[in-house]
Amino acid sequence: MRVLVVEDEKKVAKALREGLEAERYEVSVASTGEEGFFLVNHETFDLVVLDLMLPRRDGIEVLTTLRKRGLQTPVLILTAKDAVEDRVHGLDSGADDYLVKPFAVPELLARIRALLRRGRPDQVLKLQQDDLRMDLVTRKVTRGAQTLELTAREFDVLEYLLRHAGRIVSREMLARDVWHIAARATPLDNVIDVSMARLRRKVDERFEPKLIQTIRGVGFALRSERA
Amino acid sequence: MRRAGSSVRRRLTLWHAGVLALIVCLFAAGIVLFVATRLYSALDEQLAGDVASIEKVYREETGDLGELHQRVGMMFEVSEGATVVYKTPGWPPARSAPYRVRMIQDASHRIIAARDETAVRQTLRTLFLILAIGIPGAIGVAFAGGYFLAGRVLAPVGAMAETARRITAESLHARLPVDNRDDEFGRLAGVFNDTLARLQDAFEQLRRFTADASHELRTPLTAMRSVGEVALQRPLTAAGYRDVIGSMLEEVDRLTRLVESLLTLTRAEAGRIPLTRHLVDLGELATSAAESLRILAEDKEQTLNVTIEPDVRTECDPGILRQGLINLLYNAIKYTPSKGTIVVQVSGGSSGEAAIEVKDTGPGISVDHQQRVFERFYRVDAGRSADEGGVGLGLSIARWAIEANGGRIELESELGAGALFRIVLPRARRPASRSEA
Repeated sequence: MRVLVVEDEKKVAKALREGLEAERYEVSVASTGEEGFFLVNHETFDLVVLDLMLPRRDGIEVLTTLRKRGLQTPVLILTAKDAVEDRVHGLDSGADDYLVKPFAVPELLARIRALLRRGRPDQVLKLQQDDLRMDLVTRKVTRGAQTLELTAREFDVLEYLLRHAGRIVSREMLARDVWHIAARATPLDNVIDVSMARLRRKVDERFEPKLIQTIRGVGFALRSERA
Repeated sequence: MRRAGSSVRRRLTLWHAGVLALIVCLFAAGIVLFVATRLYSALDEQLAGDVASIEKVYREETGDLGELHQRVGMMFEVSEGATVVYKTPGWPPARSAPYRVRMIQDASHRIIAARDETAVRQTLRTLFLILAIGIPGAIGVAFAGGYFLAGRVLAPVGAMAETARRITAESLHARLPVDNRDDEFGRLAGVFNDTLARLQDAFEQLRRFTADASHELRTPLTAMRSVGEVALQRPLTAAGYRDVIGSMLEEVDRLTRLVESLLTLTRAEAGRIPLTRHLVDLGELATSAAESLRILAEDKEQTLNVTIEPDVRTECDPGILRQGLINLLYNAIKYTPSKGTIVVQVSGGSSGEAAIEVKDTGPGISVDHQQRVFERFYRVDAGRSADEGGVGLGLSIARWAIEANGGRIELESELGAGALFRIVLPRARRPASRSEA
């Protein structure tokens, strides 16, 4: 999978490159809109991450031109302007998704995965991590031989963690995708933390290995505890 | 400023003097006319009397006419047909000299009498002279007086302008002098001073906001910096580095949240957050908001009760109102001790208003803090700044969210007796059908 990152801020570009390469994507970085435009026209990418505030050539302009030329590659835009009209403008110009700066890298990775997955039906009926099993049809969750009694919300959180198993899930992702609240200026983080603590009690307290891990300062991850 | 003031003074004086001059001139003309009429008619009466006496003397004994002339001292001529019977010496009077003449005539005789009117003319001339000198003098005095008076009256304006000119952002505490609260200028100065007070208030708030904001922004930056610097002083284990980075990311999170909240408020104050209003059932809204935070109350073993009156609806943006309510609820949960009680009550008042009350059993808010808890960054307990997640903007955002929806927020509290926040919104009277957006 080849990803083009068009980003002028060097530190951000470097972090994106390393984050994506750690997920085994092949990454090219362009630091200006023109360079990005040139690369897209001469090479093939599976996905473009495009910053909107670029020197010389505005990201929206690049995107509009590319779409006019019939480019189908999914484009995820990064913007520091999170006013609704800016996002709408970006999506109207042909972007497939957007993220507002400052964004969490785990969320960017999740969105990239989702964009690359798009179009392919996601017919998973059962999810599993170690001996934790979730049946999406009967909504039954078991750990080993034991059935876990989860509330609806706990089930949704666990499903989200299982779908992103092995990867970090930030509080923002949970807020948006599980609680469906977009504003970060709400006291929701505390709600998430308490919910997570309860879920962990049910999933991990009486079992080994511990599966739900807190990644300090970032979020949570569902994976086997590594020594 | 000065130019305008003096021009007003000049105009005032000119108008004043001009009107006075017109009145005085009209008055003087009237006097002259009246005096002249009276003097001449007196002269005419005298002449008429003279002529009557002459006629009487002439009819009785003509010879006495000379004696009459001696006695009365006027000039006359008596003639019968073409024959002059008697005429006084010096008759006829010289054409150049002013004489008033009266004549009676019948078939047999004719009497003409003339009296010198120099005295009358002299009197009129003197009167005219007095007026001609007096009126300009009086107008001059009026002009000077008016100028002086206008100057005195307008002096406060000049002083006010001078003071106002010296007032800048740094000296907003200065006030215009008010000599007399009840006159026009006093009222003007009062209004001006009120404006200044409001300006000073706004500036003060802005100054405090800037100071608070920079403090709130600096705190996580300082933490990040020191954590990073200390970590680089000596080598750490992988877990140690992970801990340091995690700690720094937590501060980044705090900064992000702070900036986010500030942006929300700034955008809200600039009116740049569009509202999408629907008819909303406040009971449902309150229930769902309480449910989303119930887990936090459970965590502290608090009782969270929601009592609702059915069918209390209002026209509002549910997302924004919910955010405001959640902020109030969150505060209630945060400040109420473990095992406390929080009550959410939705009721439709009698006066076309709907209310959502959030009542807690926390420490309460003293009266002197109640006015200010809605201010940005204001904290009742100044020492408690870095508590989990709070940046001191929750109530500001709540107030905006409620006021943007046409409502108001009220606070009733006593120290030690819990707090009651009441959201009051205009109640919608229409049935629960879809309303226009």
